[in-house]
Formats: sequence, C-alpha cells, structure tokens
Amino acid sequence: MMKMDCEKLCPEWPCEPPEEYKDVWVVVEAEEGKLSEASLQMLTPGRAIADKLKENLVGVLLGYGVSQLAEEVIKYGADRVIVVDDERLSTYYPRVYGSAVVELAKKYKPSVILVAGTRRGREFAPYVANSLKAGITADCTDFDVDETTRDVLLIRPPFAAILLAYIKTPFRRPQIGTARPNVFPVPKRDEGRRGEVVLERVEIGQESRMKLISRRKVEKARAGVEKASVIVSGGRGIGGPEGMEMLRRLAELLGGTVGASRKAVDAGWADHEMQVGQTGKSVKPILYLAVGISGSAQHMLGVREAQRIVAINIDPEASIFSQADYSVVGDYREVVPALIEELEKIRKGGVKALREILES
Amino acid sequence: MRIVVGVKWVPNTQAVRIDPETGTLIRKGVPSIVNPHDLPAVEAALRLRERVGGEVIVVSMAPPPAVKGLELVLGMGADRAVLVTDRVFAGADTWATSYVLSRAIQKISAEIGRVDLVLFGHETIDSSTSHVQAQVASWLDWPYVYYVSSIEPLGDNAVRVERELEEYEEEYVVELPAVVSIAIKAMKPRPVSLQSKLRAKLERRIITWTNADLKLDPRCVGLKGSPTVVAKTVDMPEVPRKKEVYRPRDPKDAARWIIRKMVEDEKLREVMKGIVGDEL
Ligand SMILES: Cc1cc2nc3c(=O)[nH]c(=O)nc-3n(C[C@H](O)[C@H](O)[C@H](O)COP(=O)(O)OP(=O)(O)OC[C@H]3O[C@@H](n4cnc5c(N)ncnc54)[C@H](O)[C@@H]3O)c2cc1C
Ligand SMILES: Nc1ncnc2c1ncn2[C@@H]1O[C@H](COP(=O)(O)O)[C@@H](O)[C@H]1O
Repeated sequence: MMKMDCEKLCPEWPCEPPEEYKDVWVVVEAEEGKLSEASLQMLTPGRAIADKLKENLVGVLLGYGVSQLAEEVIKYGADRVIVVDDERLSTYYPRVYGSAVVELAKKYKPSVILVAGTRRGREFAPYVANSLKAGITADCTDFDVDETTRDVLLIRPPFAAILLAYIKTPFRRPQIGTARPNVFPVPKRDEGRRGEVVLERVEIGQESRMKLISRRKVEKARAGVEKASVIVSGGRGIGGPEGMEMLRRLAELLGGTVGASRKAVDAGWADHEMQVGQTGKSVKPILYLAVGISGSAQHMLGVREAQRIVAINIDPEASIFSQADYSVVGDYREVVPALIEELEKIRKGGVKALREILES
Repeated sequence: MRIVVGVKWVPNTQAVRIDPETGTLIRKGVPSIVNPHDLPAVEAALRLRERVGGEVIVVSMAPPPAVKGLELVLGMGADRAVLVTDRVFAGADTWATSYVLSRAIQKISAEIGRVDLVLFGHETIDSSTSHVQAQVASWLDWPYVYYVSSIEPLGDNAVRVERELEEYEEEYVVELPAVVSIAIKAMKPRPVSLQSKLRAKLERRIITWTNADLKLDPRCVGLKGSPTVVAKTVDMPEVPRKKEVYRPRDPKDAARWIIRKMVEDEKLREVMKGIVGDEL
C-alpha cells in the first residue's frame, strides 16, 4: 500500500488507512432455500486471496429464512458467516440488498468483497461499490495479491481479450470485484469443517419506491450451456437458421445442447442466452464442438475451461485450429451430416456398431 | 415526462484489428460509433414521450467528436443533447464516469427542468461492465432496475417495467424519479431521419458543458478521480491444447476421425460412454 496523502485524493473518498480493513468477503446469494452455485464458486478465489493475505474468508448471507444455510457456506470453505435473516429481505430489491451489504461493510471494514456475476450480482454490486465510494472491477478471471503493498490484483481481459489487465484500487477499500458464473469451480465440500456464524441486524428499511408486482419462473425449454457436458456451437460460418437446426440434431445425438458465437447471435440465428464468450457465457463442457467459428479471442475466452475442443472449419488458416484439440478442415454442410449419420448408427447399434465404424 | 438517456461514444470494437506481427491491438484509424446497446434505451425514451409527452434529453460524457453521434440520436427524434466534455474527464473509470454523469443530470434538473427518468443501455461494447447505471442511481439516491425489456408509463409518477433474470420474469412498479437499464435488443431502434438530423443541427440543439460549468473537484474526475488503476497488462496465457488438424479425404472420413478421437481420447471417451454405455 502506498503512503496516503489525503490532500491529493478526491474529498468524496473517506481517507482511511487501508490497514484498518481486513478479511475477504463473499456475498452468498440464496434462492428458494438453496445457495446459488455461482456464489459458492466465488469462495474458490475468496479462499485463495484470504490465504495469501493471511486473513479470514467470510461469507455474507442475506435473506429471509436463510440462517440454516450458514453452516453450508462454512463447509465450502468460509471461516465465518455473517447472516442477516430478516423478513424485510424476503423480496430482493437491488437497493435494499445493496444497502444491507453497505451497512455491514461499514461496520466490519472488509478489505475485499467478491460478488458472483449473476444478473442480480451485477445489478447490486456496483451500487454497493459506489455507496462505499470504492472502485469495482467487473468480470474478473483471476485474482492475485501484490506481496509488497498487499493490494489485491483484480485480473480481467479488456475488450480485446488478448491481454489481461491487472487492476488495483491502491487508495480505496474495500476492493470489490465480480466474476461471471463458471469462471471458477465450486470448492470441495468439507463435511467436518467448522466455523463461526454471526447473526447480524441491519437498519435498512423496506424499498418503498419500488414494488415487485409479479414473478414467474420461466421453464427454460432447453438445458442451458452453463451446465452442459457437450456443447455444439455454431458461428457465422453456418450461414443461417437451418444450420442451427442441423447442429441441434447433432447436439441431441451427443447428449448435449447448442451454443453460438456472437456473430450467430447478432445474425438472429440463435438466442443471446446461448452466446459463449467474453460477453456471453463461460462454459466448461467435456466436449466443445465449434462449427463455423473462426476462434476470436473473445469467443475463446468463454471456452478456456472446456476439457476438449473440436473444430470444424472450411478455412485451413482459421485461427481456431491452433486453439482446439482436434480440428477437421471441411465444409460443415458435408461433415456434420456425415457425423450425424454415423452417430445415429451408433445410437441404434451400440458398441457393436461403433466397432464396425472404427474398423472400416 | 422529462427523460434523460445516457449514451456512450465508443470505438467500433468490431473494427479493431490485431497486428499479426506484434500481437497488439491496432486502434489507429478505428472509427467511433454510438454504443449500439444504448439505442434501444433511446427508442424506449421516444416511445414513452409519444405516450405521455415531455422531452428526451441525451447526455454523453465524451470527447468533442461525439457530437457526430449525438446528431444521429437527435435524428432519431431526441429533443436535445448535452455533451459533457473536458480534458480533465479523460481516463475515467466507471466510478468517475458515473460521478460526472450524475452531476450533469442534477444540472439538467436544476436548469432545464426536473428529470423524471434516466435510461441507460445494458452495457458498452468497449468495457461491458454495466456499472454506470447502478452507480448513477447511488449518487442520485433513486430506485433502479436492470435488464428491462418493456417499460410503460403509470400516471405521472411511476412506470411499470418487465425484466428478466436467469430463471425468472418479473414485473415491478417503480416510482419516479428512477434509473432504468434497458436490456440488449429489447426494442428495435427507429432509423435516423436525415430531416430531423438537419433540423437539430440548424437549431443547435446540442449543449456543451465543460468542467467550467460543472465545477467538479479535479481530484474526483478523470484518471485522478478513478479508484481503479491498471497496474499492468500481460498477454493472455495460452491454454495448452493438442492442436491436431485433419484434412479428410471425404466427409465420412472426417466423421470417422472425430468418432475415433472420441474413443481414443480418455476425456472424450466419457461422452461416447454416454451414448453406447459403460461397456466401452
Ligand atoms: C468487447 C467484445 C466482446 C465480444 N464478445 C464475444 C462473445 O462473447 N462471444 C463471441 O462469440 N464473440 C464475441 N465478440 C465478437 C468476436 O470478436 C468475433 O467477431 C466473433 O466471435 C466471430 O464469430 P464467428 O467466429 O462466428 O464469425 P467469423 O469470425 O466470421 O468466422 C466464421 C467462420 O466460419 C467459417 N466457415 C464459413 N463457412 C463455413 C462452412 N460452410 N463450414 C465450416 N466453416 C465455415 C469461416 O472459415 C470462419 O472461420 C466480441 C467482440 C468484442 C469487441
Ligand atoms: N461516458 C458515458 N456517457 C454517457 N453514458 C454512458 C457513458 N458511459 C456509460 N454510459 C451508460 O452506461 C451504460 C453502461 O455502461 P458500462 O458500465 O460502461 O457498461 C451504457 O450502456 C450507457 O448507457
């Protein structure tokens, strides 16, 4: 940490020595009596930062009827959980939820606050940051600690995604960051792990200027790309919506779902929810099959966690070939139907059919 | 209803190329455009004005060439535009941007007339943070809501909005004044009318404010006023991959090569097992 010269800083910022701030917080969202997987994932980088700083990892759990979930947060790696179980938090409003976090942060002075980049997280986190007059870094892909200054480095790709920027907030605490779901794994659950649960109260009133009128769960007809173990993704090279249908058939045969590049989404062939990449979803399938996708840095950022990438592209110079495990040079209009045909045989004939194909 | 729409002037990131020699970005000569995700917010504002009357004011913190973008938005039908521009605002992160924008909105309220609603786009194509909306709401101490796909007036003092989360569709009534962030592609922006664009130009409906007008502490704006600092940049580490490239004789050959990999590669074998069963 640099020496503070309050005269040089914006007077909007409270000039407080950063040494007063301790511990790494992860705001843990709960919905319908369950912890959100995306927030559990944030305990992974949270634990790593806390260990580097030799500070505690603290889960912050807000809601109504959430107390019984506190022990779970500890089993996933927290040392302590601060719980606010309050009827006024039974309906989520960004300002109510955000203000509750702000109040707790003013009392406890954490040095770091991590928030999962779910839709809600992305909505309330910048409110928390601004209300604390602190900086915030969105969509981090990694974190580190500067050993000399003890500043946390919030690492994220700027728009080109070929670089990683190391961002810090040397004069402000807490240091706040979000990460998209699936960028980090859920930590291992340790049944025997013990920790402290602190019940807290907050002053915040009910949101009186905004009211939830209705809420309904939308049954997503097709499994989302986030959870799929096989994804067949189409890019601009598929040339139209019919191409997407062909990929859907292939995905079905492989027991997976379909994804898309941004160009395929922009062309209207695929839903935004299916977009993979920096401004879409981060995915972690066993098999990612990229069809008619060139391999832009922004797209590939979303598939870093894929175990295997297979590409089909007509252009022998396509940059995806140097970023995939197995690539076939060819026109997908020929290769994909052939693949569908063989897989149909295998679906029908099982191992025997598979052997025949391999031996021929 | 007086509606302010925040619009950013951004480099056309689709036109940014990577230098194959050095692997660095070529920004030179990259044209700037109005952030495409802000246009649905402009459209939403114009539709609200058509229903309840009032005025649509576009505001942008940007260098002077952004006037071109503001002319386009005036051509869509916005009533006026405020360009907030000053060298001291350069290099701002989202905190410092939201500070200047919210002070500009307060100045509009004080000098032009009470602002009832501030609309923003979902995110900018050059930084994609979706921070500015919540930060402005925090400065103004107004209610706010993200991911809004439709917005309807409800008398003079409220709007009804629909929005989508990962697994829920929700409907809210939000009292004014408020900040609302419009979802990507929520509304198709109307085309620019050359006539209205020209008229706006003739009537000089773009106001420019510098820090001489806003009188903000220079320690709170631009690079100096940004709590976040880029400490360094490094190349994105490469993920190790097998990089086997196959040129098949024919499509069937291609299909079989892929299937063979799905048996030989221990990881992919799991997927094949899912199809033929565990006896594989
Ligand atoms: C800030 C920012 C964020 C972005 N975020 C994302 C993101 O989240 N996700 C994303 O995907 N992109 C993103 N992009 C866009 C990205 O830069 C690329 O433009 C995009 O990924 C390209 O999509 P594509 O590969 O489908 O299209 P193209 O680059 O046009 O590639 C099409 C490919 O199809 C091949 N092809 C053509 N015909 C056939 C055929 N018959 N058979 C087989 N192959 C064929 C071609 O050889 C070519 O390689 C972002 C860009 C920016 C600036
Ligand atoms: N400099 C700016 N001037 C006006 N509006 C802005 C500016 N920067 C961001 N915005 C608005 O805030 C939204 C979110 O921006 P961002 O946080 O950069 O993703 C954008 O879609 C714009 O509506």
